[in-house]
Order: sequence, then structure tokens, then C-alpha cells
Amino acid sequence: MSDTRAHPSRRTLMQMGAALGAASLVQGTARAGEAAPAAGADEKLSLKGKTIAISVAGTDHFFDLKAYQAQVETVKELGGTPIGLDAGRSDKALVSQLQTLVTQKPDAVIQTLGTLTVVDPWLKKLRQAGIPVFSVDLPSTNVINTATSDNFSLGAQLALQLVSDINGRGKIVVFNGFAGVPVCEIRYTELKTVLKYYPEASIVQPELRDVIPNTVQDAYGQITALLSKYPEKGSIAAIWSAWDIPQLGATQALIAAGRTEIRTYGVDGTPEVLALVKDPNAPAGAVAAQQPAAIGRTAVLNVARYLNGDRSLPSQTFLPAIIANKANAAEVQRQLGQA
Amino acid sequence: MPPSATDRGFEALPGVALPDPAADPEAWLAGGVKNLAGLRSAGSFLLVLAVLAVFAAWVPAFLGTANLGLILAQSSVLGILGLGLTLVLITGGTDVVAGGIDLSLAGTLGLSAAVFAGLNQAGVGDAACVAAALGTGLAVGLVNAVAVLRLRIPPLLATLASMNICAGLELVITENTTISAASPLIDGLGGTGPLDVPVLGYLLLAVAFLFAASLRLTPLGPRAYAVGAHPEAARAAGLSMSRYRAGSYLASGLSGGLAGIASVAFLNSATGGSADMLLPVVATAFLGVVFSRRLVPTVTGTLLAALFVGSLTNGFQLLHVSTYWVNGIEGALILAVVGATAASAKGHAA
Repeated sequence: MSDTRAHPSRRTLMQMGAALGAASLVQGTARAGEAAPAAGADEKLSLKGKTIAISVAGTDHFFDLKAYQAQVETVKELGGTPIGLDAGRSDKALVSQLQTLVTQKPDAVIQTLGTLTVVDPWLKKLRQAGIPVFSVDLPSTNVINTATSDNFSLGAQLALQLVSDINGRGKIVVFNGFAGVPVCEIRYTELKTVLKYYPEASIVQPELRDVIPNTVQDAYGQITALLSKYPEKGSIAAIWSAWDIPQLGATQALIAAGRTEIRTYGVDGTPEVLALVKDPNAPAGAVAAQQPAAIGRTAVLNVARYLNGDRSLPSQTFLPAIIANKANAAEVQRQLGQA
Repeated sequence: MPPSATDRGFEALPGVALPDPAADPEAWLAGGVKNLAGLRSAGSFLLVLAVLAVFAAWVPAFLGTANLGLILAQSSVLGILGLGLTLVLITGGTDVVAGGIDLSLAGTLGLSAAVFAGLNQAGVGDAACVAAALGTGLAVGLVNAVAVLRLRIPPLLATLASMNICAGLELVITENTTISAASPLIDGLGGTGPLDVPVLGYLLLAVAFLFAASLRLTPLGPRAYAVGAHPEAARAAGLSMSRYRAGSYLASGLSGGLAGIASVAFLNSATGGSADMLLPVVATAFLGVVFSRRLVPTVTGTLLAALFVGSLTNGFQLLHVSTYWVNGIEGALILAVVGATAASAKGHAA
């Protein structure tokens, strides 16, 4: 997998290479950086004299914060000026900051996450104002390129890991609170697709809603309440969430209730969750570990390529993600520099 | 300083010694806040002008009509809520604990927005959606009025409770998800009007004009101020205190409903997080007090306060300053304003 053609900092490059190497060891791995843009020591990208707006829905989670910090750092590294805009999970602040960018006319805008219906009209206005718009984890027809994990394959792989762990049968509790966030929707759709072929596995209705903020406490509370509704061991097989902060709360609730026969599944690779996956006694079954810093960096490199005249960027640049399970979690931790 | 000099006083100008904003924005802001507290009305106007001048000098686009229109639109939800609270402050008195207050406004906004978007998703037409959203606001206002005037619960507690009711009902409707909304009305409100100014900006100005006109051109205004500031005199004059106060809560609820519709137009959906508006709304209404010559709540004062807060967010972004600054500044401004009002009340009592 040496043809990854990834391009991040030396450190993350090493991490990514390692992650890819390990990926081949894990069954059902993510496909490596498909359409990852070419980069390397010989490519001299610069953002000198360019102002790049880095707008993010919030920075209160591991993924968001790492992706955001990497974008700011990479813009500075390439000689550009970053405008850091953190909406603090307020949609009103997010829309306002995108609106103001139309006046501000930066050389490019990178939007990280957000609810598509809220954000998209303003991405469109920015595009119409002639400002190149890029995104992280937010596929939209109004962006030139989105840097993201391949959520289709990681969603399918996480679902496959889940059904394999529960032997294809049992009740699955699902947190599905962010259907408006495209990457979450993709992961959920993949879960449903996989479950279609396992008729003995079913999703518990109604589905649970994960919330922001207080995600961990809320998931803990919801799962604790649910366990008292399903008091018999084995009545619930697994808990799935589209990201891993609800998984964190759910896992803690299972430990507290002594229901560690139930396995939890999520996406991101937040260090606390990866540690729980590694812990043989914790009920965290698996987490799809993403590389937020590499994703953020890639977005900025793509902006630099575009501003330097490259018009061949694909609509999505996929960064490899890896399923960390009980067997390989320690290895993944090491590869991601979390050990 | 004699009040006559400061109240009118542009002679206070030399007192507004602002340090060079380029040198240290923190010291500059701290100085500004100090001046705001010390010089009261005239000083606060000068401070606002100074801040705007700095933005304009650094970023010429700040004063463009498109950007001013944006500030108006971005301030519309906050402004409409602030205007509602202003009415409650006028008739209830500005004593933060014992006076009139409506903490449920942010909750009303969220609930009305959810009602509007929920019905819109269910295929209900614009007129019915608007009626339902405004009706929701009125209902919350009614609950507040009954709780405060019939049950004699202190406004602070009564409206805090109704805020929680609103937040709960909002969750029931939205299940904590974002409900998107699309309709001719939403498109129209979210669009741009004459002079490149967004329609929401005009909506804010229209509401402010309506409120100002009914307070200035009808007997309602002087009576409402009398009920709030001089209850004994108002009672002696035979005014029904509770009718005016109940009316102010109903009007405030209605503003919450209208703000809900504006918010749906602004975000193209009803989303959670409206509770975050609570502090900015209270801040705006109290900050507005500083913009009046007699340090009382006024419609123009609140409008200016909302626009000032909006232009801070906008201006700092244009200056490439982190969004984190604005939150801190807002808190400092409330302190300064409440401090100034308290000091002036003490002065009167002495």
C-alpha cells in the first residue's frame, strides 16, 4: 500500500503509513486513500498571501478539534493566514459566520461538519460570490472537494464487525440523532444495508437520539433507562452510534450496570473510546478510527493545489480509516500515536 | 459629573481616551468598557461610534450596505426577542430581581420555531404555520402573565419555569433533531430585499418601528412607563397595573413567536440550541438601557444594543479576531451596564 499518495506532515505520514500497513492485517479494512491527491517532497505548495477561512461547527470533540487544529496549522505552515471561526455548536453562529465571509471575501473557505440543510444555502452563496469552498466531512454539491474518511466502507465494515460479534442475531440499540449530518447518515445507511442480510438481527424501536452538548451524560442516562426495560442478560446484543461520544456514555453505563455482555460500536477513534476497546473487560466492541488531523491537513493541501491552478481535484478525497476491535486496538492505538 | 453635562454632553469627548486599538485590543476593550460604565449614555454612544469607526477604518467593507444589511439580519432574532423583553422591563420595572423579566423568551423562540417547522414538514400552509407559531408565543405569554399576576410568583422564577416548559415541549416536537423547513414565506424572509439588505433586517426595523410608534404615539407608552417606574403614581391615577403587566407578557410572548419564525427563515430549519440565546437577550435589553438618556429601557436603545452586539460579532470576524472574544465582551458589557444602572439608582436614592 505504498501508493497511498498521502501527503501529510512527516509525523502523520508515518502514522498513516503504519495505519495502512496494519489495515492490511485487519479483515475488511478501509480502502486506502482512493483518489488521494498526489503530494510529496517535490511538490512545493504555498498559500503565501492567501487568507483561508476555517469555519467549524464546533470544537468540543476529539475529531472536530484535531481536524480544526490541523487546518489552522497547515495554513500557517504554507505561509497563509487562517481565519479561525468556531461556531461553538450554535447553528445561528455558524450561519452568521458563513454570511459574513461573503463580505470578507477570503481566498477560500473550508467548512468542517455541520447540518447540511442549515449550512448548504450559505455554501452556495459563497460559491456564487466566486469564493472557492472546500469542506471536511461535509459532502455537498457546493464544495469543490471534501476531505473525509470513506464513510461508506467504514460504515459497512463497522456494521460487519458488529454482526460478526453477535453472530448475526439479537437486538441492536441505535443512536440516530444526527440524520442531517451527511457522514452520520451514510454510516447509518450502511448499517441498515448490512442488517438487511441478517434477518435475525433487528434494531430496537424507537431509536435513541444522541444530543450535543452533554452527549456522554445523556447517552449514559438513556442506556441506563433502557437496561431497566430490558433487564435480562442477552435481551440486547449491541449498541451502535454514528460517532463514538455516545458510545463512550453507553459503554460506561453498561459497565456501571454490570451488563458487559452487550457490545458497543461507534466511529471516530476518540482516545478514551479506543482505550475501552482495548480493555478486554470493557464492553466496547469496536470503533472505526479516523485520522482527523490528516483529514484536516488534506483539506488545506487541496485548497493550496486549487489556488495554485490545479483543477483536477476529485469531489472527495478519502483518508483511510481503520476498524479497531478487541484484537487489534493496541496496535491501532500505537499507529495513531495514542499509545 | 453633573448629570446635565454627561447626559447631553459631547463635551465628554476628551474623556473618551481610547488607547490605540492596534497596540493591544484587550486593553483597548477594557478601557472602552470602563468608559462605558463611567460616562453612561453619551459615553456609550461615543464608545459605540469609536468601535464602529475602528472596524470601518480597518475593513472598509464593514460600512458597505451589503454588510450593514447582514448585521441587521444577523441581529434580527436577537433584536426581536430583546424588544419583547424591553416591553416587560418598561412595565415591570428594571429591578433585576423584583422587576419585570421574561427569561422564557429564548425558550419561546425555540418552541415556536419547532412548531413552525414541524407543521411545515407536515405539509401545512404558511398562513397556518405563522398562526400556530405566533399562537404558541401568545400562549407562553399568557402562562407567564397568569403565573406572575394571578399566582404572584416572582417573574424571575415564573418565566424560568415556563422557559423549561418550552424547552421540554420543543424536544417533544423535534426529538432533538433539526427539522428543515421550506416554503414561499421562508424563502421570502430569508431572501434579500431592496438595497441589498436581507428581508430579515427589514423585519427587525419594522417590529422596532411598530413598538416605538405604539409607545410614543399612543397613551400606552407613558402609562406603561408609569406602571413600571412609578407604580404608586400609576395606581393613584387609576391605571390597572395588572392589565398593563399582563399585556407586556403577552406582547413579549408574541415577539418570541415572531422571532421563532425569523429563526426558521435564518437557518432554513428549526434547530436546537435556542437556550443559548437567553443570556444575549437579557444582555441586549439591559445594554439598551445605557443607550437612553434617562437610563430607562427604550425601543431605540434595545435596537441599538442588538445592532451593536451584532456588529461586534461581524466586525471582529472581519478583523480576523477569534469568535471567542465576543462572548467575553458581552459578559463584560452586562456587568458594566447593570453596574451603571445600579450606581445611578443609588445616586437618586441618596
